[in-house]
Amino acid sequence: MSERRPALILRVPSRTEYLATIRDVTRRMAEVAGFDGAQADQLALAVDEASTNVIEHAYRGAPDRRIELRFDACADVLRVEVVDDGEAVDPRAVPQVDLRRYASERRTGGLGMHLMGRIMDTVTFRRTARGNVCCMVKRRPGAGRGAAP
Amino acid sequence: MSELSVDRRELEGVVLLYPRGFINAHTVRLFEGAIQEALDEGRYRIVVSGADLKYIASAGLGAIMGVVEEIRTNGGDIRLAELNETVRNIFDILGFNHLYRIFPSEVEAILSFREGGGAGSPPA
Repeated sequence: MSERRPALILRVPSRTEYLATIRDVTRRMAEVAGFDGAQADQLALAVDEASTNVIEHAYRGAPDRRIELRFDACADVLRVEVVDDGEAVDPRAVPQVDLRRYASERRTGGLGMHLMGRIMDTVTFRRTARGNVCCMVKRRPGAGRGAAP
Repeated sequence: MSELSVDRRELEGVVLLYPRGFINAHTVRLFEGAIQEALDEGRYRIVVSGADLKYIASAGLGAIMGVVEEIRTNGGDIRLAELNETVRNIFDILGFNHLYRIFPSEVEAILSFREGGGAGSPPA
């Protein structure tokens, strides 16, 4: 099998003002993969959340780092990797969020990770020599079962 | 162009907030500030009218969650109206529809305070 080459690589500074660019590019790539507008909006949200996690946790708010997003859009499937070279994060698994308890305890952390898990088919994390890689894959609902990306 | 603006008006003792654009980690402070301004004035009946809200990330949802207990403790509530499909889907995915009352129209949201008083409680 040949090595996977992302269709598009986007590198942006680790600043929240670039979340709009990330959202717009994700939305466009989702449309390329055949997702409709509402689905594309949700995928953009998941990638926004992953990128926000990088800024807030891996980089602890440092604005002078880089986030790399690797998009692979093929028929009915969108695959996005969000890569950073920050501190190791150990999400282990998408947390279960008890909203009523969250509200009563004024907790808000973990909502983004929870959203990512609910929107995407798979969300996986791995640590490489360079940093953290969050890989998210979504197959278009109703699409035929082809080879997994 | 700004990614978010939040207009405000008042009707029947209810503070109406109109977020226009995108609420995420970059813009959430503006949204939080608009809510907090109402609370600082002792206004605990709030409707977020989302006809022009294109997108809300967890930062924005967290902003609502962070104040709802204070609002309900003071006999009020924060209610939502006119959410587009994208935003409504996000609320449903997270189960926010079980925590907050969501109305198809702004008028219904305002009238709900008249019917049920300000006493906030999660939907049944």
